[in-house]
Amino acid sequence: MKIATSVLTAALLSATAAWAGDPGVSDTEIKIGDVNIMTGPAAFVGRGVSLGSKIAAGEINAAGGINGRKIKILTEDDGYIPSRSFQALTKLLEEDGIFALNGTSGTANVLAMMPLITENNLPTLVTTAPSALIYNPVRPSVFTFGASYSDAFYAQLKYIHDHSEPKNPVYGIIRQDDDFGQEVEAGYERAVKEFGVKDGIRLRFKKGTSNFAAEMAQMKQAGVNVLANGGIFAGAANILSEARKLDMDIQSADVWSEGIPASAKLAAPAGYDYLVGDYVALTGPAVERFLAMAKQFTTPDELAGVSRYTFVTYVGLKSLAHAMQECGKELTRACTIDKLRHTKDLDTGGLSAPVSFDNPQQLAGTEVAVYQLNAKELKFRELVGFKKY
Amino acid sequence: MRTGNYKESVGQIIALSDSKAAWAWTAVLIAALIVAPYLVGAYALTLMVSALIAVIGAVGLNILTGTTGLISLGQAGFLAVGAYTNAILLTDYHLPVWLSLPAAGVAGALVSIVVGIPSLRLKGLYLAITTLAFAFIINHIILYAERLTHGPNGVFVTGAKLFGFGLQRGPALYYLTLALAVAAIFAALNLLRTRIGRAWIAIRDHDIAARVMGIDLVRYKLLAFVVSSFIVAIAGALLSLQIRFVNIDVFALILSIEALAIIILGGLGSVAGAVLGAVFLSYLPEAIRLVLSTVIDPSSPLYTNYVYEIRGIANGLVIVLFLRFKPDGLIGFWRDARKYWSNWPLAY
Repeated sequence: MKIATSVLTAALLSATAAWAGDPGVSDTEIKIGDVNIMTGPAAFVGRGVSLGSKIAAGEINAAGGINGRKIKILTEDDGYIPSRSFQALTKLLEEDGIFALNGTSGTANVLAMMPLITENNLPTLVTTAPSALIYNPVRPSVFTFGASYSDAFYAQLKYIHDHSEPKNPVYGIIRQDDDFGQEVEAGYERAVKEFGVKDGIRLRFKKGTSNFAAEMAQMKQAGVNVLANGGIFAGAANILSEARKLDMDIQSADVWSEGIPASAKLAAPAGYDYLVGDYVALTGPAVERFLAMAKQFTTPDELAGVSRYTFVTYVGLKSLAHAMQECGKELTRACTIDKLRHTKDLDTGGLSAPVSFDNPQQLAGTEVAVYQLNAKELKFRELVGFKKY
Repeated sequence: MRTGNYKESVGQIIALSDSKAAWAWTAVLIAALIVAPYLVGAYALTLMVSALIAVIGAVGLNILTGTTGLISLGQAGFLAVGAYTNAILLTDYHLPVWLSLPAAGVAGALVSIVVGIPSLRLKGLYLAITTLAFAFIINHIILYAERLTHGPNGVFVTGAKLFGFGLQRGPALYYLTLALAVAAIFAALNLLRTRIGRAWIAIRDHDIAARVMGIDLVRYKLLAFVVSSFIVAIAGALLSLQIRFVNIDVFALILSIEALAIIILGGLGSVAGAVLGAVFLSYLPEAIRLVLSTVIDPSSPLYTNYVYEIRGIANGLVIVLFLRFKPDGLIGFWRDARKYWSNWPLAY
């Protein structure tokens, strides 16, 4: 009887088809979560972000997956509302049982999810909103890929100062009245102090403002000819449009959101060849290779939606996949986090600087490249390659 | 079948219900809600907590808008006041939660006096715009008072414990929210049956006539603001406990619009309607998600490419259809069903 029981127990244990480790991992698949802005005015950002995960997963699965396991992406919409991000991640964790998270919406949204992330020791790649609030203080399972807005603006202003500064430079900044705007102003402050140039005017506006006529009139009055444009999407375009109406001769440093085709189309009619600082490539052989590869895993409609937001999540999932690959068959969250911590100089095919998370803040991709838009052709060209600032 | 409805004392007149069956069913409902955490999963429990917080907020707003007739678009601001007060007192000053929660309500009530006094002569859209402006002012104050509120960085909410139980997740949070929701509902129902409630209704129906009858408009309008904001601020405090992080982005204007939609959809002026509206709108997105994933193949291009748009359209369509065919709200369905049941087999 005892022998029979032992044999039966052994048979049952060996017959199990599932890898009885952390949630989201079976013998055949790994579930990766993605909480994104899929509805609302910023949905085109979320779509781009989601594409990055989809393309990376398609590429990895086509090459055999991760140690034989296919990646499955599970996307939930948060509509850019932090309380919904919390609910979405709760669903992904409790109902869908994800293994890791790649794709995390805005800064406030990530912070709203942070208690759940730390409680569950969930390997998380933050690539869309690499704010200092995410990695200060550092959370053990959270890895941030991306430069600060501060460095991105400093890089652009430095380029203008070194190469194309007007004779009597007057710098000015217009930025959002929140943590993002604070970071933009930090880069501006650093530039103005270091270059010893005239700080013409600093203006703030509430998120969602669309009419900048008064602000730009103040800019003109202050004589600003080098502008740190902290607006995003339609806001940035409206700022440049108002500048054109006032016949301002300005060089503009812009947020990396202005590097996506939709933003460039909006802003180009103002006729300014504005600059953008970004931690992923906007143009060049790396982007062309990516698009050629992405065709296999996307529809033509989806391919048209590829933007810098696609590249950041693509790099994020590739980094995560690399760490999971290193863990072998016995894939656990703890192992993945450990491997991510030891990730050094991971090549992203030129889409960004090599990825290294082996630092106290678990922060990579801080190198910024500077690009300039040709407003007539709607094309970006690289001015400065990836560099640390 | 009852043939008459005889009241023989004042107590019977003002009783919440004279029906033993109604009380029995209420007890069954409460019992079901008490055992729910042991029957449902963690995600379903999270949804229930969210729905209960929405119930508290809706009951509060219903007192101001539904009962007193004062339109308010500033609910997001009162939610923020409650949430931030609770968060700061818990996290920065290490007060116990049984102090921080009521303090959050008191903070909301005090702030409502500041909003209410300039608004006393205003009605309708003018009052709505004033309360909306207040919500913007609150956002700015939170952003600029960095020393107190941590500015745009937000506050991580930790340390909410009662009798050794952590109150920020799981069944403990659910029971706290359930208890406060029941308390808010009974408080609102009782208030409506008092002189104060009757004064509010009179102000809503015809404020000049109410004044002629001797109702002090200033006093009762302010009281409506205070009571409503106290309850809504408590809802904000509970939201901060659930999400465990507060930041101005959590309290966008859309919350004020959603709150109004809840009480209109549920049935303006009715506490039961506010409850029904809150539960309905809290679960509607989830219900649509489940229906769509059953009706449309989740792996089909239609689903993967357009599911979010379809959900959004379905959400709006359901609300529009409800209001078109049942303008008195969800409570209208309940009243029709009750009448049908009472009168059956007769038509009326």
